[in-house]
Amino acid sequence: MKRDPVILIVVAVVISLMLVFGIQKTRHSRPNSASALQGKPAPDFSLASLDGKATLKLSDFKGKAVLLNFWATWCEPCKIEMPWFVELQKQYGPQGLQVLGVAMDDTDPKDISEFAHKMGVNYPIAVGKEAVGDQYGGIPYLPSTFYIDRDGKVVDRVYGLVSRSEIEDDIKKALSSTGQVAQN
Amino acid sequence: MKARRIIAAFAIIAAFSFAAWSQNFAGHQPTIVYHPPEITSISRGHLGGVVLQFRIPGGFHINSNQPKQDYLKKTELKLDAPTDIAIAGVTYPAGEDRSFPFDPNEKLNVYTGDFAVKVLVRPLRTVMPAKYAVHGMLKYQACDNAACYPPKQLPISFEIKVVKAASETRHRNPAQSPNIH
Repeated sequence: MKRDPVILIVVAVVISLMLVFGIQKTRHSRPNSASALQGKPAPDFSLASLDGKATLKLSDFKGKAVLLNFWATWCEPCKIEMPWFVELQKQYGPQGLQVLGVAMDDTDPKDISEFAHKMGVNYPIAVGKEAVGDQYGGIPYLPSTFYIDRDGKVVDRVYGLVSRSEIEDDIKKALSSTGQVAQN
Repeated sequence: MKARRIIAAFAIIAAFSFAAWSQNFAGHQPTIVYHPPEITSISRGHLGGVVLQFRIPGGFHINSNQPKQDYLKKTELKLDAPTDIAIAGVTYPAGEDRSFPFDPNEKLNVYTGDFAVKVLVRPLRTVMPAKYAVHGMLKYQACDNAACYPPKQLPISFEIKVVKAASETRHRNPAQSPNIH
């Protein structure tokens, strides 16, 4: 049976496009309202720290590039990222990076604290509220990470687990903001 | 030539359909589908089993009732039975030990695809024979290969028909009429 090469090429191209598009959509899809945040000031918030003794505000980190990570103890992919964040905080902290975790658990903050301690977390973690998630366009699933530049603008947001190198690329993008250099 | 055009048009339509499907699939909380069982007849004072069937959409998994990691949310059925109808037990299926692309080195105990939960019901002897509805919630927390969704509760209900026990029927038919003597 003779196969028409044009048909074969069309079918191959369509299948390739479907695969690429599907993978991209699954890994990086985002709520429409969150897309609207790109290039705009990151909404400020005020959340309790895990020990309940302090209040963490996004505006406290003005002048720094912030990696804002929404996570939860029940989220296994979130657990994969945490050691990377620890390393990246060490590596890029001196350049002005601040990793900030927001735990979207409904459990006792003590359990979250214990979990974070076991994971060797070296960055602050706040007890999340749905209202804060809503400010960021809704957090339909975890992990959800927002990259905020030194000027406080959202430069990127990533939903779901991505590779360490992709996270690092976004950190570099946030750090390369032309804003004021962070003062440690 | 005509056949070529038809195939090309079909391929383009398929691509657009897939794009639309991807848009809907990604980022949306997966919903477990519950298939209510047919009404189960249970004799009062006796145990009866009701099997509840669930289906998890493709590409997702939920933790089993006994996840290996204590920080993970287990799948659990919470039932609210009518007065005098006791839930004597709930039997969950064994989960499957699986690793996922986000951590190939760690095994999670999960349910995927179809799974069934067996509920043991015991109507007390005093219950009036009739149909009764049992309501409840399936608590679960789903993930895919790269992300996890907030814990969710799926409302469920099933009906049982409480009937008289065979022994009760026998007792009510005296072997002999007192008038014979």
